[in-house]
Amino acid sequence: MIQATVLRLRICLCLAIAYCCVCCGRSDHKGSGQGRQASPLSPVAALGRQLFFDPGLSASGKLACASCHDPRFAYGPSNSRAVQLGGPSLKSQGNRAVPSLRYTLDRTPRWMHVRAYSEIEQLTETDSVPTGGFTSDGRFNTLRDQATFPLFAANEMANRNAVELAAKLAHVPYSRAFVVLFGKAIFSNPSQAVAKATEALEQFELEDRSFHPFSSRFDAWMDGKAMLTHQEMRGKRLFDDPNRGNCASCHLDNRGTDGSHPIFTDFQFEGLGVPRNPEIPANANPAFFDMGLCGPLRTDTASENKAYCGLFKTPTLRNVTSRKVFFHNGRFHSLREALRFYVQRDTNPERWYAVTRQGKVRKFDDLPSIYRDNMDVIDSPLTLHPGQMPVWNHRNIDDVIAFLRTLKDDDVVH
Amino acid sequence: MPLRAVRSLFVGLVLSISVLFAALGAAQQAGHGDVHPPIRHVFVLTLENKNYSSIFSQDSPAPYLSRTLVAQGAMLRQYYGTGHGSLDNYIAMISGQSNNPDTSDDCGTFEDFKQTGVADDGQVVGRGCVYPSSVKTVVDQLNTAGFTWKGYMGDMGNDPARESATCGHPVLGMPDLTNEQEGESARVPEGDMYATRHNPFAYFHSIIDSPLCQKDVVNLNRLPNDLKAIATTANFNFITPNVCDDGHDAPCVDGRPGGLASIDAFLRRWVLLILASPAYKKDGLLIINFDEGGSGAIERSKDGAVITVFGESCCNQRAGPNLGTYPRVKISGVGDQKRTRRTLKFGGERTGAVLLSPFIKPGTISDVPYNHYSLLKSIEDIFGLREHLGYAGQTGLVAFGSDIF
Ligand code: HEC
Ligand code: HEC
Repeated sequence: MIQATVLRLRICLCLAIAYCCVCCGRSDHKGSGQGRQASPLSPVAALGRQLFFDPGLSASGKLACASCHDPRFAYGPSNSRAVQLGGPSLKSQGNRAVPSLRYTLDRTPRWMHVRAYSEIEQLTETDSVPTGGFTSDGRFNTLRDQATFPLFAANEMANRNAVELAAKLAHVPYSRAFVVLFGKAIFSNPSQAVAKATEALEQFELEDRSFHPFSSRFDAWMDGKAMLTHQEMRGKRLFDDPNRGNCASCHLDNRGTDGSHPIFTDFQFEGLGVPRNPEIPANANPAFFDMGLCGPLRTDTASENKAYCGLFKTPTLRNVTSRKVFFHNGRFHSLREALRFYVQRDTNPERWYAVTRQGKVRKFDDLPSIYRDNMDVIDSPLTLHPGQMPVWNHRNIDDVIAFLRTLKDDDVVH
Repeated sequence: MPLRAVRSLFVGLVLSISVLFAALGAAQQAGHGDVHPPIRHVFVLTLENKNYSSIFSQDSPAPYLSRTLVAQGAMLRQYYGTGHGSLDNYIAMISGQSNNPDTSDDCGTFEDFKQTGVADDGQVVGRGCVYPSSVKTVVDQLNTAGFTWKGYMGDMGNDPARESATCGHPVLGMPDLTNEQEGESARVPEGDMYATRHNPFAYFHSIIDSPLCQKDVVNLNRLPNDLKAIATTANFNFITPNVCDDGHDAPCVDGRPGGLASIDAFLRRWVLLILASPAYKKDGLLIINFDEGGSGAIERSKDGAVITVFGESCCNQRAGPNLGTYPRVKISGVGDQKRTRRTLKFGGERTGAVLLSPFIKPGTISDVPYNHYSLLKSIEDIFGLREHLGYAGQTGLVAFGSDIF
């Protein structure tokens, strides 16, 4: 009997704990407006916030993380540049458009390409897709590693080395926080000081609610607190339809089994074959190609796999209507154009790619010809051929844009 | 005495009486004239996609399984999977239901089985994934007979947005996202390599609609505690490691090597734990099997690859009413990514299985052919369950017998 009582007590306790967790889960992640309540940050994350907004950490003195990742634009770019200006005198440019930092950061899995052990399964199952990692080529596994990149990239914040950056850190108005948190000697060890700064940035990106407010109309709709219009619902159905738009197969939009709201990405890599963008200075050289997962920016052993050339990570579509640049190379400047590209890439390739003098379309022209077979031609809507009808007409596109507008958080401009 | 305690005393009494009857039943009923030893704690541990020849070869990358454990127990050299795709095999093991086109394809969408009729041996006719509540499993039989059962699933619930930590499965009618392994992230520090398609309990309304499912289909991390005492160890335990530990992946999403090496590492830890438990020592039986074999022929050319899967079976296995004719050809992809998969027959290939028990003489070898339906029949016989479900009731099917015990 005693044993039974203890057992029952234990069960109650477990239940209580489980119930509690469910509650926390809810307030944190289901997004019913709680995002806006200021939640106290840990001291390290609070330091990270200071760093994130501090232009003084850049060689130009003008570029903070927040300059490119503007919180008013869901931590995405506020302007329409395909690639931002950076470097000591703000005259250099990289190759990639700035992504939104909302929703994805705490959920991005480490980069991995899982394979089935059985060779037959490897060949016949489609589940072996590379996934995860930070940035559009997945080359960083942690936010702290990722943060070192902009701090030292010559075309971004352009610090030359840890000594230079640590010297800046020692003189920021909030430098005392470093001493309080990491000890008096912190600035005498420059690489340690930089490591702590990137850890603080990571902590801010993970802790601060502003990275996942779940305050869109779509979230309110999921919680039964708002209605979507007929047009928005039509747009959602077009977005979901596996035989046509098929968007939701990568930009996941179903509720989680715990009721959590979707974040519109599966973090998988995919070859869409976005056209070459002449706005990017490096593209003036016809021999230069940004091939995503296989480099040249990514250089680890994974990048040696040539089947990866031209693959980029699937981004979230939350707050996508506040963007003025689309895809990894910022090739498109309106959402309508980006969607038209999806549905007309294969039916009207001449509208999207360079055409040779002989009138031949160089489909997938942002890749060396030997890697063009890597591009996806098996997932709808990318399976059609010239002469066929695109899966969407302009009215369908209007509807999908109306649906995507419901993904805008309430504090985001537009 | 509070009312609840009175009631539990009463239930306890009823249970022990029915256990007594069940035990008597077992002695009378055991397969092909054999009398089973009084086994009362069965553990089934199912691994993934390996062929007999690769698992048990001289240079097997799983020496603990293929040598150490084989020497300690019985080696069933002619044990066969019953289908290709994982899921159809797991379903066969607990219900005796045969393969259908969706379960053979691992059910990318977690959809209801649409039943159109009933055929011989209790086979339901139709296709789909989650069987209607009228379809019974060994769980119903155990419940009725007063035995306890548990499913232990590696990683289940690590990411609660993917699946719940108890009775985890996708939302009915939705794509099964657990077909993709999830790597470690800040939110899910251990990652999540649970695959619903390796959890047979998830595919029966009779189980998932019952509150017992929340109590009895749990994360594998509960097993060590449950093993501590006979009273907390269920009579029937089905253990599914995550898709790294069960050898499905190589490499795994967490960077481990996977395949037979990860299987061996998993077994070294968990088999020892089970063998050391009071319940196993008293009257246990551990069955280590594989869902299906993984071999076949592959021919590559510039036009892609042609894959031939043999689909061998044993024991006069029947295809069941839902599969259509073989051989079967499935083509996917284009160009050099084109894949032509020819499946010659409906079986799951020879995998072998290893059984351990205080009632088994170390080093026993059996060449009697067995498959997942024989496994189900054997479990039913051990617990004295009167009915043999689905193809476990196929005429002439042999259950584990004196060749093993
Ligand atoms: C000059 C503009 C610029 C600045 C300044 C900048 N970033 Fe970025 N950020 C980018 C671009 C462009 C990318 C995409 C890089 C790629 O895909 O290779 C990016 C990507 C990221 C990502 C990866 C997002 C994901 O979902 O994978 C994170 C995190 C990030 N930045 C954080 C920071 C932090 C922290 C800072 C300050 C230390 C910072 N950024 C400063 C432009 C900038
Ligand atoms: C097979 C997976 C897949 C499917 C299906 C898919 N997408 Fe994408 N989507 C991606 C990937 C990968 C990218 C990034 C590609 C790049 O940058 O080169 C992307 C990028 C985008 C972007 C640009 C977002 C940004 O921040 O720059 C939009 C908009 C978009 N997708 C909308 C859609 C719509 C609408 C559909 C349905 C017609 C769709 N996607 C279908 C994988 C997919």
